Amino acid sequence: MPATPETDWSSRCRDALARYAEPLLRSVGDKLVRPRSKQPTDELLDKAAAMITNAPVIDRRIKEQPPASRKLLAFMGVSRQPRWKVGHLLTLLAALDHNDGFSPVQTLLETGLLFPELDPQHPPIDSFASWFGLAGTHNAVVFAHPGVAARARGEDFGLPNLASDDTHATPRAADGFEWPLRLAAVWQQVHADTMRLTQGNTLFKRDLVRLQSDAVLAAPPVDQLASIADAGVLALLWARAVGLLGERDGTLEASTFPTAWDGPLFALLAELFAAMPLVEPWDPLAGYSPPENGLSPTPTAGLLALLLARDFVHPTAVAEWLWSHHPSWAGVIPTTATDKGAGWVRGYLLGVAYPLGVLEVSGELVRLSTFGRHVLFGEKEPPAPPAFPQTLLVQPNAEVLAYRQGLTPALIAALSRFAAWKGIGPACTLELTPEQTYRGLESGLTLPMIVQTLNRHGTRPVPPGVADLLQRWASKRERITIFSSAVLVEFQTPAELDLAVSRGVVALRLTDRIGMTADGGEPSLSHLRLIGNRDYESKPQRCLTTSDDGVTLTVDTPQADLLLEAEIGLFAEPLPIDQNGGRKFRLTPTSLRRAIDSGRPLADIDGWFAERSGAPLSSAGRLLLLGAQMPPPLAVRLLVVKLPTVEIADGVAQWPGTRALVAERLGPLAVSVNEEHFEAFRDALRELGVNVVG
Amino acid sequence: MNVTNPTARLPAKLHRRVCLVLTEDAVLAEELLARKKLASEVAGRLSEKVLLIRPGRLDAVLDELRKMGHTPQVVGK
Repeated sequence: MPATPETDWSSRCRDALARYAEPLLRSVGDKLVRPRSKQPTDELLDKAAAMITNAPVIDRRIKEQPPASRKLLAFMGVSRQPRWKVGHLLTLLAALDHNDGFSPVQTLLETGLLFPELDPQHPPIDSFASWFGLAGTHNAVVFAHPGVAARARGEDFGLPNLASDDTHATPRAADGFEWPLRLAAVWQQVHADTMRLTQGNTLFKRDLVRLQSDAVLAAPPVDQLASIADAGVLALLWARAVGLLGERDGTLEASTFPTAWDGPLFALLAELFAAMPLVEPWDPLAGYSPPENGLSPTPTAGLLALLLARDFVHPTAVAEWLWSHHPSWAGVIPTTATDKGAGWVRGYLLGVAYPLGVLEVSGELVRLSTFGRHVLFGEKEPPAPPAFPQTLLVQPNAEVLAYRQGLTPALIAALSRFAAWKGIGPACTLELTPEQTYRGLESGLTLPMIVQTLNRHGTRPVPPGVADLLQRWASKRERITIFSSAVLVEFQTPAELDLAVSRGVVALRLTDRIGMTADGGEPSLSHLRLIGNRDYESKPQRCLTTSDDGVTLTVDTPQADLLLEAEIGLFAEPLPIDQNGGRKFRLTPTSLRRAIDSGRPLADIDGWFAERSGAPLSSAGRLLLLGAQMPPPLAVRLLVVKLPTVEIADGVAQWPGTRALVAERLGPLAVSVNEEHFEAFRDALRELGVNVVG
Repeated sequence: MNVTNPTARLPAKLHRRVCLVLTEDAVLAEELLARKKLASEVAGRLSEKVLLIRPGRLDAVLDELRKMGHTPQVVGK
């Protein structure tokens, strides 16, 4: 389930309400807004959307809910993820012994504290139960306004206190950079080479192996307390969930870095934490494992494990609780494992949550860190780590050392755009390469911006040799420029193009009569009088006439486009321009042969002529092209018999008495007869009373 | 038309959404045209340094240029 880019949750709530059938909307409105009189639908929608952000009202509405519904909202609140699959929410409630089925979700939907996520084509909802029945446990997704979910965070889940009595030393916490760095590295991988997904929305083997064997992504983290399987795949799925990667036509592509990467580290980590429940087809023990039934236990078991670690707990104790309470988690623990899933819990808590900064550890024990309590329970945010702006060292061999303590999300994002990650450690290593420099420039950076980033964060200036390299790589990019969608301005004479350049209408001269603005954009039309307008993404226009001789082609100049000008030379030879400036071409055996030799088969040539002149290659053209390849024409002496009417000619060609004697039907009124058959032919017709004269 | 009239509007034909490759020099354009796969995507040569690309073939051209080791600057993608 990819992350939603939509952040205006109030509008989303209003839009969802607007998709309810009116009786259902009024029923929900009665519970949420409690209007004193019947209001118009639009007014009711506005009031409901406003009510959702009214904290005192929301507090009262939450308090009125049954315990299971309050806990459901609380799960959404502590996870910071406003969108959940219904199946996951029911799993979480089942782990707390609330086995009421869809009822807690339905109660919240009916109160307007929860909303169904609907396809744009979905018809208006008249009943939540029927919507859920249609969508199914595995696909039905609900969302709550983040403000509403946050108000429910104080709800007691009734989880046991598994705190260990063991003495613990001063806890230690990770710096929080591990996952941002890994997500940036996987973003870079996808930016360099997109990843196609199968029809089942899973990774192809090739990409899976690529992620598993990547030197950066598969390397163990700096402060490794527990190993996890397929860390590269987790990074990929997480990057997708957090919006760093997007999906288009079944292909994963690198998006621009979301705005959270411009802010402080804790804000970014909170975003990553909120995206954790969206990472489904991954498991700390099995690695990449797309769930067969559509619901992975990872999001739910992971969240419960974190909630159980509010105070120092042993991962084994957490595993034991999950083993006996989570309805599906034990099923993913390998049957060979005798630890009741302790390895899974250790992997999730120490391999995922600890590097994210959500947990701190003391010996074997783990608990939520100050930052963890902040993101889950809204406690006070810890102070930001000290800043060390000069943290890069650009070496003469074009490698860059990035000391981890001075990194920021913005610097990680900036470096990822123009330098290739080579190692993630206490001092991360990057490499400046031609390809990566090119990608940085293509992403909108300029060479001065790259050098400035390296200098601003560098402990010393960029070595001159490296600056030269960057300059050379950047210059190489200038050698070829592709304008993907330019507007060309064609003037009638070179003098007019000169004038247009002097007036600044166009900046680049492409030919002696065609120019273009510097960026290929639309020119100022105030200096131009348009005599033609062609769109090259549209179907080509007819602008060619084939003369009666079948070989002379006349160009309709006002209608013609550049493609015609460029392509017609493949098929025909230009003739001198006539007095009126009209352009003509002639088909010749050589010109047509040239087209065939350049890889254009006859079908292509026919298609081109049909597009440009409305008819395929003329018969004369076919004669020029194919005549030499056909069997030689045969010259024979035949007698032509002309018949008085078409019907008589048809009869002669059809009647068995004459049919075998007719050599060929030559036309509506004429047949040919071999000389030796002529007497028999005449006799046959004479029997019918038809005398052939001559 | 009288091109000396500074206020006269210039008659012109607009060709919109054209895909072009501009090379630094004519030799580079020749080098590109010598590549069979690339040449098949080129509709024609507007001038010695300007190649006209067939509509909808931008990605194929980019792929081929990168395979050749070039790092083209893409404007307007």
